[in-house]
Amino acid sequence: MIGFDIGYMFSAIPLIVRAIPLTFVIVVLSLFFGTLLGLLLTSMKLGKNPVSALIATGYVSFIRGTPTLLQLYLVYYGLPKVLELVGVDINSWDRVFFAIAAFSLNSGAFLSEVMRSAYLAVDIGQQEAALSVGMGSMQTLRRIIFPQAFAIALPNLGNSIIQLLKETSLAFIIGVNEIMGQAQLIIGRGYGVRQFETFIAVSLIYWAICFAMEKGFAFLENIYKKGHREIGR
Amino acid sequence: MFFDVQYAIKQFPVILEAAPMTLLIAVVAMLLGMVIGFSLTLCRMYRVPILNRLAILYISFIRGTPILVQIYVTFFGIQFLFQLVARAMGWNASLGSIPSLLYAFAAFSINAGAFLSETIRSALSSVEAGQMEAAYSVGLSTVQAMRRIIIPQALVSGLPNFGNAFLLLIKGSSLAFTVMVVEILSKAKIEAGAGYRYTENFVVASIIYWGMCFVFEKVFVLLENRLKRYKHEITI
Repeated sequence: MIGFDIGYMFSAIPLIVRAIPLTFVIVVLSLFFGTLLGLLLTSMKLGKNPVSALIATGYVSFIRGTPTLLQLYLVYYGLPKVLELVGVDINSWDRVFFAIAAFSLNSGAFLSEVMRSAYLAVDIGQQEAALSVGMGSMQTLRRIIFPQAFAIALPNLGNSIIQLLKETSLAFIIGVNEIMGQAQLIIGRGYGVRQFETFIAVSLIYWAICFAMEKGFAFLENIYKKGHREIGR
Repeated sequence: MFFDVQYAIKQFPVILEAAPMTLLIAVVAMLLGMVIGFSLTLCRMYRVPILNRLAILYISFIRGTPILVQIYVTFFGIQFLFQLVARAMGWNASLGSIPSLLYAFAAFSINAGAFLSETIRSALSSVEAGQMEAAYSVGLSTVQAMRRIIIPQALVSGLPNFGNAFLLLIKGSSLAFTVMVVEILSKAKIEAGAGYRYTENFVVASIIYWGMCFVFEKVFVLLENRLKRYKHEITI
């Protein structure tokens, strides 16, 4: 049957929306672990040890030079094998775990670049001034550098998070039931008809979420940029 | 066995056979994407009445949806249009006669076009307006000015971003297996499925991708340095 069934498209939306919580869980957990990994990588890169700096640079280069889907496959098929060596069997673990692990490893590299560029962008005079009034380096980091670096990082951070949200769509390829997986479920139940309408519905949902996130980040940027003088009018 | 290195080394040339396909998709998508992107940028810069709004909507849609979803939408969209046209023209062709590469080229070009239009816009706006005025004042038409004066200068500032876009296309092509195109990742999956040696094949595939990205990064840096030879830059 030819013809675009708009009614079907709208009726598919509430069914697909059920998978949004899982998608958010994946994004939030991946961000959490990715931030930890990113902090580690950034401190390795900016640290004094040349070996650890090289390892961090190599890792980031690998993550940035290979497709995310391939990384997902490597974690899904490779991680159980690696852990088998130490006698841990995770073959029966839920696939969401593998998705979160892969996205954490992926986002960790990108977040480390965001953090590194933001940290380096803070004027060194700030650190000198802080040390000169007697603050220790941890205090300086916490009270002076971090707030400024965070404001600088916000646009890139927003982009990275939106990118992560879009990449979670790949998780359905290893069988995770997030938005794309839910769409396939609906298509399967409907015996494969109206696939076009279903995927248009999926894209509208992603578009809406990304739009909302962009507005959210613009709002946050306005808050954190208060008092900051920029080039231009 | 944990990791069969012999097997992995043997698989290298096998999976490398699919590298030309990956490059083909990336190059075609880049070229078509440039054309689409340039048209979109012109619509936006000269604020063509309806096309301006459509362009903004299009770019927002492409940037707000995952590329996998775009591939599926393009896949079914092309089939849908094909059926419509075939009905109207009275053809008797079947959907199977559409080459699978068409889906890949279409999806990745549409995607690249949106991102490249932003890149082209920033590159073109980095050229001073005075250049265009000077070109007019010596009698060049807009097209001539674009071709001889503006674009060469815009290329210098746009090249890093074009390089990034190309690398993203190389990595993005890994999703073409969903439309039955045999590029590097598809080949790796096929090989892996044949003998259940998943890890080795995927590691080989990632080394190939990593190598390709590394090589192209260096190529683009070389190109940039070549183009920047006569540019005055800020030095402290």
